[in-house]
Amino acid sequence: MSASDAEIQELVRAEAGDCLQRMEANLLALESGEGGAEELDAILRDAHSIKGSSAMIGWRESASLANAIEDQMERGRQTGAVPAGLIDLLLRALDGLRRAVDGEQGVAAPLLDELAAFEAEEPVAAQAPAEERAADPGQATTRSPGVAADPSPTIRIDAGKVDRMLDAVGETVLHHRRLEHTLEGAGRGARQVAEELDVGERLLGDLQDSVVQMRTLPLSMITSPFPRAVRDLAAEYGKEASLEISGADTQLDRAILDGISETIVHLLRNAIAHGIEPPEERLRAGKPRAGLIELRAHQRGGMVAIEVVDDGRGVAAELLARSEEAGSLADLLATTGFSTAGEVTEVSGRGVGLDAVKRSVEGLGGGLEVRSEPGRGTEVMLLLPLTLALMSVLLFERAGHVFALPMTSVGRVVAVTEMTSLGKRPSIEVDGEAVPLSHFGGRAADDGELPARMPAIVVESLGRRWAVACEELIGEEEVVIKSLGAVLAGVAGYLGAAILGDGRIALVLDPNYLLNAPREEMALDKSGDTTVRPPGKVLVVDDQFSARELQRSILSVAGYEVEIARDGREALRRIGEIADLDLVLTDVQMPEMDGFELLEAIRADEAHASLPVVVVTTLGDEESRRRGAEAGADAYIVKNEFDQEALLETIERLVGG
Amino acid sequence: MSGVQVRVRVAGEHYALPVEQVLEVADMGEIAPVPGSPPEILGVRNLRGQVLPVLALGAMLGLDAGEPSRVVVAESGELRAGLLVDEVLDVEELPPSTEQVESAYVLGACLVEGELIGALDVDAVLTPTAAH
Repeated sequence: MSASDAEIQELVRAEAGDCLQRMEANLLALESGEGGAEELDAILRDAHSIKGSSAMIGWRESASLANAIEDQMERGRQTGAVPAGLIDLLLRALDGLRRAVDGEQGVAAPLLDELAAFEAEEPVAAQAPAEERAADPGQATTRSPGVAADPSPTIRIDAGKVDRMLDAVGETVLHHRRLEHTLEGAGRGARQVAEELDVGERLLGDLQDSVVQMRTLPLSMITSPFPRAVRDLAAEYGKEASLEISGADTQLDRAILDGISETIVHLLRNAIAHGIEPPEERLRAGKPRAGLIELRAHQRGGMVAIEVVDDGRGVAAELLARSEEAGSLADLLATTGFSTAGEVTEVSGRGVGLDAVKRSVEGLGGGLEVRSEPGRGTEVMLLLPLTLALMSVLLFERAGHVFALPMTSVGRVVAVTEMTSLGKRPSIEVDGEAVPLSHFGGRAADDGELPARMPAIVVESLGRRWAVACEELIGEEEVVIKSLGAVLAGVAGYLGAAILGDGRIALVLDPNYLLNAPREEMALDKSGDTTVRPPGKVLVVDDQFSARELQRSILSVAGYEVEIARDGREALRRIGEIADLDLVLTDVQMPEMDGFELLEAIRADEAHASLPVVVVTTLGDEESRRRGAEAGADAYIVKNEFDQEALLETIERLVGG
Repeated sequence: MSGVQVRVRVAGEHYALPVEQVLEVADMGEIAPVPGSPPEILGVRNLRGQVLPVLALGAMLGLDAGEPSRVVVAESGELRAGLLVDEVLDVEELPPSTEQVESAYVLGACLVEGELIGALDVDAVLTPTAAH
């Protein structure tokens, strides 16, 4: 098949998808009695257009199925009514048509048989006002509840193109930051340059905003299946319920929309399974026979709130009392295995599901709130960020690397003065309260070994407080969040990564994951032994960039603080400057002053005569080894024998001993 | 293996990967560790504005650390990562594998001028550990 054929098929598929959505909404309107002749005509037209385009490109199954639906609607139009029993069959036919359009084979035949065999039962008059029924069909519109036509002209764009554009804008923002950074380093140049930079920043901001907006879509993009889902679920549980949607035009990032559709269906299911009472019970309680579920969306500050509200039985009064202790009702209900229903249904209790809802919402940088009044109903609110693309974060340094926390989760920053420990979990004192210290960063959190007055970031999330200790706070910045990619998709605990103005990467931590992360998991030390190796400060001396970076990487992953020098002379100067230096790791062949000369200079200096020095070199011959030993090297590692574990063991022995 | 291959040295040994699966060769850059990731993931680096995971290929093959100096950016479908190697030796046509190798990451090996060259299974190397 040629590329253009594939493109046409994709186009037809997308159009048919729109038609099918409208048809479903209109059928449901007919069933509920809200719809009339206008809806009937609309279904007829949509069926006709699917039939036409399918036939044109040779999709025989969908063409014949659409034709059969059209026939039934035509009959309905002539009699002015659609038999009640037919709606259910038509809904199933729509499902089949959707599958056929997606390329599935063999779905049409059984449905065609059923449609052909359908004999009108007792007809239900389409409850439309007389003047509507008389309306000129040629002039009819396709309006139906929630499927209003958009007055502003739109174009279809491949989502990937928008993503690439956003990427490019993000790059440009980064480029701008680098430029600023460079100019600052160079003394910031003339005032004119600074002014031009400011103009550039404003233009970039506008551009970024508009591209981010391009990526937003109305909530209505995902709401069309919901009325049908509520109908089917209510039938499944022997209940009656209707769904009212408001604020469907609220805009959200496409990536967030993709992530919450399933979550909302889950909440609707909860509301029907556990909230809405059976009809008899509702009548006894003085409520209308059918339950009402409302799906409401609205913007709240920089966030979007999506609420699922039911008028069902609510949670028990006793639970509300307990929720005070648990912190919030959302937390209590999200405790795994918890259920508000008297019995646990096949779908699992509300609790198990709510735990998943909470995680998924928090993974998007949002939050979950639940309110309930016994006997009156339950309100579940998802609080979501407007966009995932940009985030304001607090940057900090830990073990020589930069990390970030979303500003929305940062409460305050304190200097650590006192540490206590309860149940092996260390905590620090903030305003006279013990705040648990996260395991992030591993070792430093053990055994109360935090240096005096280390800064700690107090994170507040969903009513809980906890702290992350760090060596240095860098500051607040607005960053473009990038995915860690498919290879790291299984690694939990990160919202993504940001590239900073100086080119460094900052991993953006998921604030909600950190508190509960197992101790070993978030340690920066990967060897798995988090207790033995004491912290230390190491000076790495090597003229070769790659060798230096490799050693720096190995040592900092192991938790050491690493300083860098490019030759012996620089190293000697750094040794004088760095307080509490524990060890020097040096190459031999370097310009200016080589490793052996450096070693001799260190030993000759009284203040550092006993500083452990490890020589790493490609020179493996006897003569070199002897020279190293004579000069006073504590260990001699030959590069071809270079072994990460051996290096770490040697350093640990020398620093710890 | 057959076809054009990129031949690399890892801790003194020779390996090859299909040139179609190699996007580029870069220097090591600054690697930021990712706490909580599997041991073979050394960290992530910034490659022209993209976040690139870097894998310790030597350690995955059970070798010593070697003298890594280059990052070979490899791709398999959605998966993309930098593999740490000592050196990129050549881009050349290599004969089909004749030897069997017991490794989850090596498909086979061939002998060229006395040097045994392992054919890397790029898909397996890039597939996250949890899936193995």
